[in-house]
Amino acid sequence: MANLELRSVSKAFKTGKVLDRISLAADNGEIVAIFGPSGSGKTVLLRLIAGVEQPDEGTILLGGRDVTDQAPETRGVGMAFQNFALFPHMSAFDNVASALTAHKVPRDVIRAKVEKVATLLKIEHVLGHAPRELSNGQKQRTALARALVAEPKILLLDDPLRNVDAKLRYEMRLELPSLLKASGSTVLYVTQDYKEAMALGDRIAVLSDRDFAQIARPAEIYRTPATLNVASLFGDPTINLMPVEPVASSGGPRIGIGGAELSLPRDYGHMAGKACVLGLRAENIVVEDVGTPESLPVAVVAVTPLNERTLLLLRTDDGRELLASEAGTNEAPRRHGPAFARFDPGAVLLFDPASGRRILPQAA
Amino acid sequence: MSEAALSIKSVDKIYEGRGKGPVHAVKNLDMDVQRGEIVALLGSSGCGKTSTLRMIAGFEEVTRGDIVLEGRRVNQMPPARRKVAMAFEGYSLYPPLTVRDNIAFALKSARMSPKDAQKSVADVARILEIEPILDRYPSSISGGEQQRASLARALVRQADLYLLDEPMGQLEPRLRAVLRGRLKSLLVDRRMTAIFVTHDQTEANALADRVAVMEGGVLQQFASQKDLRERPANLYVATFVGEPPMNVFESKVTNGDRVRFAIDNGPTFDFADSDIPQSVRSAIGGRDKVVIGIRPHAVRLGVGSDHARIVSNQWLGDQSHLAMEVAGKLMVAVSHAPIPARAGESLRFGVSASDLHVFDASTTAALSHGLEAA
Repeated sequence: MANLELRSVSKAFKTGKVLDRISLAADNGEIVAIFGPSGSGKTVLLRLIAGVEQPDEGTILLGGRDVTDQAPETRGVGMAFQNFALFPHMSAFDNVASALTAHKVPRDVIRAKVEKVATLLKIEHVLGHAPRELSNGQKQRTALARALVAEPKILLLDDPLRNVDAKLRYEMRLELPSLLKASGSTVLYVTQDYKEAMALGDRIAVLSDRDFAQIARPAEIYRTPATLNVASLFGDPTINLMPVEPVASSGGPRIGIGGAELSLPRDYGHMAGKACVLGLRAENIVVEDVGTPESLPVAVVAVTPLNERTLLLLRTDDGRELLASEAGTNEAPRRHGPAFARFDPGAVLLFDPASGRRILPQAA
Repeated sequence: MSEAALSIKSVDKIYEGRGKGPVHAVKNLDMDVQRGEIVALLGSSGCGKTSTLRMIAGFEEVTRGDIVLEGRRVNQMPPARRKVAMAFEGYSLYPPLTVRDNIAFALKSARMSPKDAQKSVADVARILEIEPILDRYPSSISGGEQQRASLARALVRQADLYLLDEPMGQLEPRLRAVLRGRLKSLLVDRRMTAIFVTHDQTEANALADRVAVMEGGVLQQFASQKDLRERPANLYVATFVGEPPMNVFESKVTNGDRVRFAIDNGPTFDFADSDIPQSVRSAIGGRDKVVIGIRPHAVRLGVGSDHARIVSNQWLGDQSHLAMEVAGKLMVAVSHAPIPARAGESLRFGVSASDLHVFDASTTAALSHGLEAA
């Protein structure tokens, strides 16, 4: 059952419409990453669910109950923000417990609950410390413990790792999913980092242009993005995009790039003669010394190692640039100069240049 | 005359502190940069990388030691006479000139013909994608565009050495990978000698032939990115370089009939003496404690005698990051393909002798990398 549901919710400010009839349903215990560029309305969305902003239209249901007109404190929603601020004059224990004291919970129950969540977050040994005595990681966990200890049915996290250093951010990215799962809360996790969204979300809701462009599991968003924009927001390096116009042939549709003609899967036959944007991820391009009839002559312009991969900047005969990414770190000096690029036609994405929407394959 | 384009010889930089006592920003730095080489100075803030760049440029005095550019000692030479081109923060564009005139300014003073100058400007503008802003004024363009304009102004000049401060720091992700490739292509094709400062190892690895890792004013290692990753000189480099960095564990070592590394509160890696070459065994010697390191890409999954609980398994599109709980902390394994395993399950893992790095527990210096002594 959906634990959280937004039905056609809109919100405008003086500066204009921020959210336009958006809908979302999240299951019990599900982590939904709300991903989008800054200014796309992610925080406004959380504030609507928490009840600190009112929607202009639409309905918000929590646990099947319409809470659209209810006060924030009755909604059972926990929220933590970017800064994860702690009360400096209170111990870590009291900081965590502060989420419960307002609710008149008996003291021994408070102690049991705080200790349980502290053990989960591995801060049980520093509960007596003041915030200034905690490492940044421990502060982060303490603030998260405070959000979790009230056992909210809905937990809203607004880019909680934004202001922490890269190392801690990476460690928290690895640990957070199991911590959040253990809490049993339904989590909406706002982030601007596509890797964080893919790592943490059971599903990702991509917010763009006042509405969700796609709500799907991470692998689905990466492999079959609904729009050009979604395709460009996921992946490092950014997906290669090229205008093409498929032509019909007896062997199926073909596209011309840089003097070469390459096959597309047959189920794109309906696109013959229509302008498209071809999307091809860097890791789906193979660069070889020897060409085949299905490969594209290119010049390797630059070799730029990226982590444990190698990025090759390729230029086609007609001056288009492509990035290819190979697993491993082959830095052989041969790399500059003529080569051939080949790609799996099955990895090709086509988009409509006008609407930006992905063109779906159609059985011929 | 020296072969090197630049020699930094036993250079120290000490800032006389105001009230707080002196700050020793760069300590006994020795570095040679060859002609046509691209070098990155990499480190976190305060490591001494920017002080080093500013001394080479002539914006900071050298406290001790020498800086030799193309065979000339330049310690006392003003920046403008050093034949270096710079793109620095604070070395900003001239507000009354358009971006185009800013870029062309140095070419005019170098008496290049207007026609050639226009072509040089157009070429570099195309490479850095600033053509649409060439006729705008610096105050009306974004920070990222100013950075690229300033980079263009440095790159069009003829110079013995190009000094670049965080050259691609503010670029949006969409442009970053392509522009890095084009910049590298330009530097390589024209055999330009370049030194750039960055705190971003992705940028350092992408552009540089060699990377100088600095920390606490001390050069930790100056090597190709491959060597930094595969042969880190010490634990600092091992845990700073690499995305994600090397997994390291303190362990007891038994260097006898078999070679055993017993991780504190964790598993024991046990190798037959034939698995570990004599040179590595000699390097480890009679130590009873060492720190061992395993790169995330070298962790072998699904094999080996040890088990660990999977904390998370995250597919990022072109790679998978799997975290396991080993010896009370996270051990990370990275694979280019999805890993078929779920959080909460237990998974076998192991490491080959050829992938094991050993460091001295007190000095943190590397003792061995795989089958070779350090």
